[in-house]
Amino acid sequence: MFVRWWHMVLVLVVAPLAVILFAWIGFFNVGASTGHWKITEWFLHFAMQSAVRTYALSVEVPDELPRAGVQPAAAHFTTGCAICHGAPGEPRSPVVKRMLPQPPDLTTVVDKWSDEELFRIVKHGVRFTGMPAWPTQARDDEIWAMVAFLRELPSLDPQQYRKLAYGSTGLPSAQHSGFERALADCVRCHETNGAGRSALTPIIDGQSEAYLLESLRAYAEGSRASGFMTQAAANVDTDDLERLARYFAAQSPPALERAPTSHAASRGREIAERGLSARRVPACLGCHGGSAHNPAYPKLWGQRADYIEAQLRLFREGKRSGTAYSHLMLNAAKKLTDEDIRAVATYFAAQASRSTMTTR
Amino acid sequence: MSGFSQVVRGQAVERPPYPRSPLRYGFIPILMFAHGCAGIQSTLEPTGAEARQIATLFWVMVIGGSVVWLAVIGTLLYAARWKGEPHSAQSAGRLILWGGAIFPAVVLMALLAYALWLMPSLRPQSGEPPSAPLRIEVTGEQFWWRVSYRSKNHEASIASANEIRLPLGQRVEFVLKSSDVIHSFWIPSLGGKMDMIPGRTNRLSLLATKVGIFRGPCAEYCGTSHTLMAFYAMVMDPAAFDIWLEAQSQPSEELASDGKLRFISNGCGSCHTVHGTEATGTLGPDLTHLGSRESLAAGILPNTEEAIRRFIADPDVIKPGSKMPAFRMLPEDDLQAIASYLKGLK
Repeated sequence: MFVRWWHMVLVLVVAPLAVILFAWIGFFNVGASTGHWKITEWFLHFAMQSAVRTYALSVEVPDELPRAGVQPAAAHFTTGCAICHGAPGEPRSPVVKRMLPQPPDLTTVVDKWSDEELFRIVKHGVRFTGMPAWPTQARDDEIWAMVAFLRELPSLDPQQYRKLAYGSTGLPSAQHSGFERALADCVRCHETNGAGRSALTPIIDGQSEAYLLESLRAYAEGSRASGFMTQAAANVDTDDLERLARYFAAQSPPALERAPTSHAASRGREIAERGLSARRVPACLGCHGGSAHNPAYPKLWGQRADYIEAQLRLFREGKRSGTAYSHLMLNAAKKLTDEDIRAVATYFAAQASRSTMTTR
Repeated sequence: MSGFSQVVRGQAVERPPYPRSPLRYGFIPILMFAHGCAGIQSTLEPTGAEARQIATLFWVMVIGGSVVWLAVIGTLLYAARWKGEPHSAQSAGRLILWGGAIFPAVVLMALLAYALWLMPSLRPQSGEPPSAPLRIEVTGEQFWWRVSYRSKNHEASIASANEIRLPLGQRVEFVLKSSDVIHSFWIPSLGGKMDMIPGRTNRLSLLATKVGIFRGPCAEYCGTSHTLMAFYAMVMDPAAFDIWLEAQSQPSEELASDGKLRFISNGCGSCHTVHGTEATGTLGPDLTHLGSRESLAAGILPNTEEAIRRFIADPDVIKPGSKMPAFRMLPEDDLQAIASYLKGLK
């Protein structure tokens, strides 16, 4: 028998129509109750694992996983991930276990993936499963923090986990709504006084209220990229955002110890006071210092070096937004080298606590 | 030019095969553009010694070139219409020798000598000690001019921007630099042009011979807003110039205004200097005495409070590619107060 032209028509036109007809009749069972056929399940897993392995080839792993990010990642894991994957001392619910595919208990599977692969899965999610992508594609630093946490996860006992995720009390908030609930959520990472629990968490006590409020709003609407903070701020009422900003602005920061001046700090001081005119970097203190400054410009004295460094890198890459003034930093940070950023961060971190500075 | 040659041909040949072109009066509207040859930015209306020399050179070339051109065309017509016996090879050879070799060589040599004779005053050697009592350093930046005066009467250099003032009848030495790409410094009425090349220092010496306001454009394509980069050069009476320069070396008169506070608190001082205040930034134009300048934003806006306000809010719209970030998010009060403060810096 020869293949004739109408055989082709049959294949190209009639076959797709038949498939659509089959779907339209509705005999194909999309219910999750019966699970996949064995062969479908094998194929889907095979395709997923292969894709993750292949796409992970282009992921560049940092020299060291950011262990400082384990605590904020744990806190985010509680609100974003544990509902499906469970957590130490918090097994997956029977409802979740009837999802198809079933979200795995991560303590048993993270070891099967390399760091690159975990990064790939956390950042992009997995299609045809319940696994979502990270809320923003602009914050690889947060995703590496999550990978660092996932590496710790299998060895955490419930108590250690709760301490990381819920704060010093180790207990989930008893509040169910309103400002108290929102505040309890902040406190898990930022502490009651706003001092922050990790090196990557900014010190927000005594920060300018206008800046805090604009930042919270920007996080809530996703215009300042952060998976952690968008998740935390998106469901808070506008009024409560204002109250939170007021609350943290009113906290007086604990006295910070003045770090001994180092070489980096003196170079940082040079940049902060004079800028780098050859590379068109303006002096930081023109906006962030002086006797009076616009309250939309954050106070940087005594801020954590790691936080400043991370934010300057984001500015340099054009990934940082926030208040209506944030674009001012894009040009300013564009020409900073890694050493400059380190130096500036060291300088600001080494300054005496903000509360001693005069503000308008 | 085409209209002109059409007319000449029509008269000389007077034969119908040449159709009467509808463009034969095309030179008339072109002549109307000759109006543009006058004014504050014209090489044909020189107001400086160097521009005068260049204009003279230009007219020598134009008139000499026209004479040569008419002679060549005349010879051509003569050859085309000659109906008599052919000239001897010897006389033709003589014509070629004198008209084709000796005459051009002499003319070109003379022009070269003339131009070389002009060179020293137009192109002072670099590295030479300052011969002029006043030296003005101009640095081209995208898209404005950094200006710094060095006078023997003042110890420190005096910073300004986007405007150049010079005393009548005194030689001024310009030191020309660039901080980013190639720009070119040119005040057509006074002299130039001279390129500003990154990493090099070029020099130009000018002597103004007439009081007035002249305009200088950036004469080398330098980026998106190249056409929005110009300045005014003001030639002043020497006594008035000295008074002005002395005033420039002092901070602006302080006006009681909260515009200054807002100027500082919004961080303008990170990039701009206003002498006598906390604002000491050097990335952008020096704004001391801004209010007394002829124009705003490198010769493109009138220097009014409203224009200052607009530029602060939308520099990226008024001057695309400008390094200044937009401040349109500032409250209207702040914009207004800062604009009024800056306009008040006389």
